[in-house]
Formats: sequence, C-alpha cells, structure tokens
Amino acid sequence: MKRVLIYKRYERFWHWTQAAFILLLALTGFEVHGFYHLFGYQQAVLFHRNLAWAFIILIVFTQFWNITTGEWRQYIPSTKLLKAQIEYYITGIFRHAPHPTRKTVYNKFNPLQRLTYLGLRVLIIPVVVFSGLLYMYYVYFVSHGVVHDLGAIAYFHVAGAYLLLGFVIGHVYLTTTGHKPLSAIKAMLTGWEEMSDEDAEIALKENLKVALVESRKGISGKGTIEKEGMFETAFEDVVEKLGIDTVSTHLREKLIHSNVGYFRINKNGFYEDVNDVWLSLYKCKDKKKVIGSHVTLDRTPEGKKAIMKLVNRVLSGETISGEQVERLCKDGSIGYHTVSAAPYKDKEGNIAGLEGFIIDNTAQVEAEQALEKKIATGDKGEEFYKLMASSKDVGYFRIDKDGFYQDVNEVWLKLYKYDSREEIIGKHYSLSRTKEDFVALQKSVNRVLKGETIPFGITRRYCKDGSIGYHQITMTPVYDGNNIIGFEGFIVDKTDKKLAEEELMKEGLV
Amino acid sequence: MKKFFEIILIVIVPWIIIFWIVFTYNGDKDPGYFPDKKIEIKHPKIPVDHSKFAILQKKFKTPQDMTKACLSCHNGRGKEFMKTPHWLWLQKDTIPGRGVFNLGKRDLLNDFCIGINSNENLCSMCHAGYGYSNKNFDFHNPDNIDCVVCHDNTGTYHKSNPCLNPKNPKAGMPALGVNLNYVAQHVGLPRKSNCGACHFTGGGGNNVKHGDLEIGLLHCTRNFDVHMASVGKNAENMRCQDCHKTVNHNITGHLYTVASSAHNRATCVECHTDKPHRSKLLNEHFKTIACQTCHIPVYAKGFHTKIIWDWSTAARMGKNGKPIFDKELPGHTYTYYGKTYKNVDIQYDSRHGTAVFQKDVKPQYIWFNGTANHHLLHDKIKDTTHVLILNPLFGSYHDNIDPRDPRHPSKIWPVKVMQGKQPYDPVTMLLIQPKLASRVKGSGALWADFNWKASCTAGMKYIGLPFSGHYAFLRTETIWPLNHEVSPSSKALQCIDCHTDHNGRLENLTGFYIPGRNHSSLLDDSGLIFIILVLLGVSIHGILRIVSNKKNN
Repeated sequence: MKRVLIYKRYERFWHWTQAAFILLLALTGFEVHGFYHLFGYQQAVLFHRNLAWAFIILIVFTQFWNITTGEWRQYIPSTKLLKAQIEYYITGIFRHAPHPTRKTVYNKFNPLQRLTYLGLRVLIIPVVVFSGLLYMYYVYFVSHGVVHDLGAIAYFHVAGAYLLLGFVIGHVYLTTTGHKPLSAIKAMLTGWEEMSDEDAEIALKENLKVALVESRKGISGKGTIEKEGMFETAFEDVVEKLGIDTVSTHLREKLIHSNVGYFRINKNGFYEDVNDVWLSLYKCKDKKKVIGSHVTLDRTPEGKKAIMKLVNRVLSGETISGEQVERLCKDGSIGYHTVSAAPYKDKEGNIAGLEGFIIDNTAQVEAEQALEKKIATGDKGEEFYKLMASSKDVGYFRIDKDGFYQDVNEVWLKLYKYDSREEIIGKHYSLSRTKEDFVALQKSVNRVLKGETIPFGITRRYCKDGSIGYHQITMTPVYDGNNIIGFEGFIVDKTDKKLAEEELMKEGLV
Repeated sequence: MKKFFEIILIVIVPWIIIFWIVFTYNGDKDPGYFPDKKIEIKHPKIPVDHSKFAILQKKFKTPQDMTKACLSCHNGRGKEFMKTPHWLWLQKDTIPGRGVFNLGKRDLLNDFCIGINSNENLCSMCHAGYGYSNKNFDFHNPDNIDCVVCHDNTGTYHKSNPCLNPKNPKAGMPALGVNLNYVAQHVGLPRKSNCGACHFTGGGGNNVKHGDLEIGLLHCTRNFDVHMASVGKNAENMRCQDCHKTVNHNITGHLYTVASSAHNRATCVECHTDKPHRSKLLNEHFKTIACQTCHIPVYAKGFHTKIIWDWSTAARMGKNGKPIFDKELPGHTYTYYGKTYKNVDIQYDSRHGTAVFQKDVKPQYIWFNGTANHHLLHDKIKDTTHVLILNPLFGSYHDNIDPRDPRHPSKIWPVKVMQGKQPYDPVTMLLIQPKLASRVKGSGALWADFNWKASCTAGMKYIGLPFSGHYAFLRTETIWPLNHEVSPSSKALQCIDCHTDHNGRLENLTGFYIPGRNHSSLLDDSGLIFIILVLLGVSIHGILRIVSNKKNN
C-alpha cells in the first residue's frame, strides 16, 4: 500500500465546506418545508438564507478556481470506460476485480463521477440555486410580474433538495469502495490517498510527469528559482506541491539516480559544485578532484571548443536548454548527455557563473552513431547489430516490406510487454498500434520504404496488455542489393519522466 | 502531525470564521426600520372653561335647549355634523362593480337585531340625536343633535334604555336624572367611554357585535390592547381619535358591515409606516398580510362575543306558556350545522331565539382588498341552500399578485364571522325586516306578540316592501374585520402559526403556496421514496460487498 497526493488544499477546503453547507441547508430547508422543528422557523429561514449566500459565494470562488487552474477539464464527461465503471460497481466489485480507472491528481474522477458531478454542476445545483433566489426574492419578483406562483418555484427547489440529498447518501457510500473503506475520506481530509502498489505506481508516474513539466518551467529559466541547486529546488517543489510520497516510493532516489546530474561552474569555467548523479555519469568517485577543475578537462579535443561556446553563451546571459554534449569520463569512455543551464548572479546582480543539469542519453546517441555509420559506410552494420543485441536501453526491430515483424531484441519485448519473440515474430506491426496511430505510422513507413531514413520521431505504442507507451523511433530501410526489402530501427522509451523531460526540452527550445 | 495542522488550517479555521458569520450575521435588517418610539401622539387641550359660560348656567328644560346653547357658540358645527353617518345612519358609498348606494343602518339588514326600521325607538338609543323614533325623523333639525353623548367629560351622561323600564324615555333621549347643566359645563374632546357607550355595547350588550370592542378596553393592560392600555407599565392610554383622526366631525375609519369602499380608512401604517419591523422578512409580509393578522391573535379577550344568533327558535314559549327571558342554557358545547363550538355560552330568550357566545376567539382569515359588497334590501336571495353572506368582502390571492391592479392589493385579514339565521320570504326571496321592539301587544312586534308572521308583516309594510305571508329562516353571515385588541409584539402570531401543515391559522385559505404549509404529496412522497431507495440500494450493495469479502477471504 502506498499513498499518493490527489487533492489540493483549496479543493479539500471547498469540498468539506460545500458538504457542510449542503447538509446544513438540507437541515434548515426541510424545517422550512415543515418536516420538523429544530432551530425555530424564523431562525431556520434566516440561517438558510445566510447559508445560501455563503454557498453561492463558495460556488463562485470554486468556479473561478476551476477555470484558472484548468481543473474544469476534470469535469469534461467521457464515455470511455463509463460502461466498465458501471459494470465494476454492479458486478466487478463483488469479484474483487481491479478498479477500471485510476485516480491521479490530474485525473481524479472516474467517468461515472465526471458525469455525476457535471450533472450536479450544470443541472441540479443551478436549479436549486436559481429557484432558491427566486424563492428568496419572491416578493420583488411578484411586484414586477416575473412570477405568479411561489408553489412552482418551491417545488423545483424541493425536488432539487431531494436529488442532492440522494446524491450525498450515494456519494458517502461510494467513498467506502476505495482501497480501504476509509481511504477516500482520509484522502479528502489529508489530500493523500491510500492505493495498492500498482495503482500508486501509475498514479505517481502520472503526477510526476505533469509536475515535472510544470516545475521545469522554472528550471529552464522561465521561473524564478534563484537558490543553489535548481533541480533540487524543482524536485522539492514537485514533492511539496503535487505530492510524491518519497518515503514509501523511493521515487526520489530513482529519479536522482536515473540520469539527472547537477553542476555549477564559476565565470572562469571552473566547477564549483556537482551532485552524485553527475559524478556517476562522469564515472568519477572523488568529488574533490572535480571541484576546482576546468570544464574543458572532461572533453574530447573536439568537445572542448563546443563546451566553451556553450559556457560563453550562458555567461553572456543566455539560458540554454537541451543542448547535446559529449563527455569524457574518468575511465576514458565517452558518454553523451543533454545539458540545460542558466546563469546565476551574485548580490550585485552580476553574472557570477552558470548552473544547470544534464540528462544522460548515451545509449541513444551510440545507437544513432552506429546507425549513421552503418548507413554511411553501406556495410553490413555489424557494429550496429551487436549494439542492438546487447543494449539495455534501446529496443531494436526489423519489419519486412509487407509489415510483418522479422526480428526484435529483448529491450523491445520488455517495452511492448511481450514474454517471448515467438509471440510477435511474423505478426503485422498494426498489432502494436491503436487504429489512429497505425494510420499515422503507416505514412512514415511508406516514406521509409521509398528509401528515406526518419530519425527521432515520437510515436505511441500499444502494448500486449493494452497499456500505452511512448518512445522515440528511428527508422531506416533494409536493402537487399538495390531493393528495399523492409525497414529496421531502434526505439528509446520516453513513457514516463523521460517524456516529460523531453517535452520540456522542446518547450525550452521554442 | 503536520497533516493534522494542515487540516485545522484549511478546514477547521475557515469553518469557524464561515459558520460564525453564517450563524450570527443578520442579513435581515431593514434599513427603513421605523421604531414605535418615533411615533408622537399629540393630545390638544381645550383652552376654555365651559363652566364659566352663563348660557350653560341657565337651567335646560329639554336636551334640545342644551343643543341650542352649544350651537349658539359652535355655529356651523350642527350643519357639519348633520352630514356625518353618526347622524344620518347613511352614507353614499360605492360598491365596486355595482354603483353608488346609500349604505348604513337605515338601508341594510344584519344578522344581529336584523334592522332598525320599525324598531327605531329602541335602536336610536345609540343615535347621536334626540327623538329618532321613526322614519319620519327630521334629519335637518340641528336642535335634535345629541352633542354631549360624545362630548360629555363627566361620565354622568347616558341615554335612556327603554328596555329596562317601561317608563324610561325612548328614541335616544337622555336617561332620567341626568343633570344636563352639569354635563354641558364639563364638555370636552370625546373620551373612550363616550365612543364605547355605543361601540362597545352595540347589539344589546358588552362586546356582542364587534368582538374586538368591549368595555374592558377602558381599563386594560398592554396585553389586552397595546394602544388603549391604561393599566400597567408603558400604558399609552390612547384615545379613539388618536387613530380615528377627526376633522370637522368627520371621523376616519369605517366598518365594512355598513361601508363598501376603501376611502376614509384609519390604518396602522399612518403611524407605524410599512416598515415597523427590524426584520426585512417580516416587513415583506406586509405585501400579503395585514398588520392585524399577526397582531390580533385572539379577540374577545375580556368578555365573550356573540358568534351565532339563531332567530328561528324565537317566539317559543316556556312550559308555563309564558315567554322565557335571558335563560343561560346548560353546557358549553354547541353544535351548529355540523361544526362543534367548544367553551361557549348558550342563551335562550323567547324574544331573540338562541344565541351562542365565545370568549378568547381565534379569528378567521380571508383575503380582503378594502372593498365590500352588500346584500341590499331589494336584493333577491338566489340560493337558499347556502349561507348568504350579507357583506361579502372582496379580495383574493390573485387580486394581490396581479401587478396590473395595484389599486386592489388584497391582504389576508383577521375577521370575526358572525353566523345568523334570520327570516326571509320564500316567495319574494327577499330578506325580511321584522318589527321587533315594542311593548304594545297587538302592534305586531315580535317581543310583544311573539308572532313571526305578524312581526314580518308589520316590518315589511313599514319599509314598503312586499311580504307574501310566508316566512322561513335563512343562514346568513356577516364578516367583521378586526382592528382592535391589538396584542403586544411578544404575543403576536409566530411564523409557525401559519407556516405549518398542522392546524395552521391559514388552513382554510387555499389556492396559493405558503412555505411549510403546502406540500405536493406527489413530490414529497416520490422524494422520500427516492431517498429510501438510495438508502436501500447502498445498504444492499454494502451487505453484498461484506458477504463477498468474507467468501473471498
């Protein structure tokens, strides 16, 4: 069991306040309707009026919040999985079937909820509010001849009240269908929802993806992060704002140890600070050796010029993002990464140096280089096929001219979630695409089959288990003599955080 | 711990603020609120000592001599007074939709003593004049004005009651033994007791007619009547004229048993404005509800008032063959046409028939727009199977809500409904004016001869209308809007008195929606069924989940 942040602060305030308003409005309203004596009729009427205005103010605030934060999108109805959700409540829940939908901070509502809440928002609450206003100011409306019969107004109002009350009962009951009976209520109080590990993983990835997109706006120079360690700050920000339960998920470590390295360089080009990821990417064990060394030290001779060019650009005040850089590791190997950096300033506002982060893409660059070499030399490309066979990060595929899989590597199988090659070899590639994606991909394939090489396209895959993933694809034709007999290429997974980062890079470049 | 504080911060703290505002903020203050304290009541004093005037020292042989003396100084007042209904017992008034008529005691029948015609000798003991003994009375002779019945400030003047003693003078003459000179030397503005002499005891005794005007008002507390209270704390001790403002003997205010149009009324808003409450919500009620409705929760607070007068049992003799006079019947429950009246006093008198009295009566409520119709002497009875209302008050809910007709803003009013059963001619379909009051046997008077046919013949002949010789009894009603015995605000009706579906005050006023009173049983039933179904649904679903959980475990 893990916990994921689902509800934001305003949302929780709004939800519980609205709940209290609705219950108190029902309590006072049904007294006015004559069902019982509790506050006394006059008090009940006055409380009901005050509550009504408070409720209207809350609605206005909340709609403002919904519009400005984009949260309104969560109410857009969707029929996708609606049937599945209904079937789940009717039968699946008794068989302990998994929830057909998952909750994330960016997609809180299942299709049934979307539909119900939208109905409340656009139908029932407006009916109750407007009939209530007519009811409240009936005397004035009568004077102007707008309405003649309080009865009709009252009956609309009361009918709305019954529907709302019924909703509240059903709503409270459905809160018990979460991971544990009280999970949903706890989540609405604390913001954090308890989920099964599997659900939490997906929810976290989703949360992180969007969160990184948001936070990188700060890192890429559009925001106002001035503290030391931009990524750290951004990361903390993500954790703080959108909720990643770092203790239970170890996600922070995963991320830190994935491929993001931090560095700070003074205006003369000497390292002032780097983080552990940076060190591991440069295959360096001793941080002291790095601090004080020059940025050109870790470069190939060609690389020294390129890196100084970038450093000078940043020192002149520019922010760079997603620039491709190569590095010379301590063990002599060559690695590749993208770098994003921005100048940092001293107290007087003068540029004192630059800082930024690097994201490793060695595997991809190596694959590209191998492929380029293969194409350029026109050889059998043994180096490329060797690399593909042994790669742990890059998926390889070969498809004949009719579209049937001829070969894939282990990474490819993992990404597409197949268990063995036998399951896919000889199958048509449309199997691994949704219908619309297939149409889009087919156009590219046709271009490749005419002899073109298409690098770095982003495409969406349809995995064996029905899930969707994203990857970067590079495709090139396969020749037999002068005849194109098919095409091959490699894919680099970009599904989760990598995709978010890549998207940011693109954003930064625009 | 951090989360706990967060919840406190984002939910509990705002809630304390929000609900403190919601439950304490009074959004119901009317900025136009006009407090009672702002009302000023002026009591002018007469700067003259009448006891010093020589003309009033001279011994008056007749009451007319006294009137001459009055008018010798107050010249013009006689002509002025002779135009008023107190003298004419008539006034021109418009019945909406029918036209202009002379309305008044001389031309209308009621369901108490039915009518004054042929009974003037008795009835005119409440006429502000001397000698109004029959229809030939000279309404143009100012000498016959009885000034002092209203202006006596000694309390010693009163008119002769011919019922008490055969020797007593008739037709509104002063009682024997009244010192006219003493009275004339001590005249002043009318006091409550002057007005009350007639208005409290009309119909034959204390509070018989109006129900909200009784002798008890002369010495009462605020609980009895906030305006006229003279006993206890904060007693305003207001006089009748403080509300019934009077200019040149023209007194504002009229009763719809003898009037029909909405002119010359004395209303609450003249002093209190239409925003007498702090609460806007209460002031808004004025659009549909007369002040009296809430502020006169009960009437006949001091003395019982007559609610039923059944003339059909009159003229029956006792076992000894002699008439029965003023007999209190045993029991305090009376059933009349299917309705049972509890805590009532029942009287029988061979002269009057059966009378039922009730004290502390809850008013009935009607829509009333300030105008009334009347069953006139010549009007034919159309339907004898139903109660004939002698003064139907106009008004309806729709009259109120129609914004195109602002002249008729109907409001809900409290009324006393007086039920009568009185003679009519089943051939001519006219109501009958019987001759009642006379001690002379053979005169045809019911109270002398105890013969209905003779009484009807004499009465109808007197007013010059045909009588077929047949008579029967018809159920009638008169409607008396209530205006007096206003209770203090603490005793006024509360919301729940009307906003309830259980024995509410306005139970009988149907055809419009009152929150808390009206329910659509279709809506409420389907609403409750819906709630029950939802509860049932979630219960079953929940139980099934528990069961399936156990199975799977």
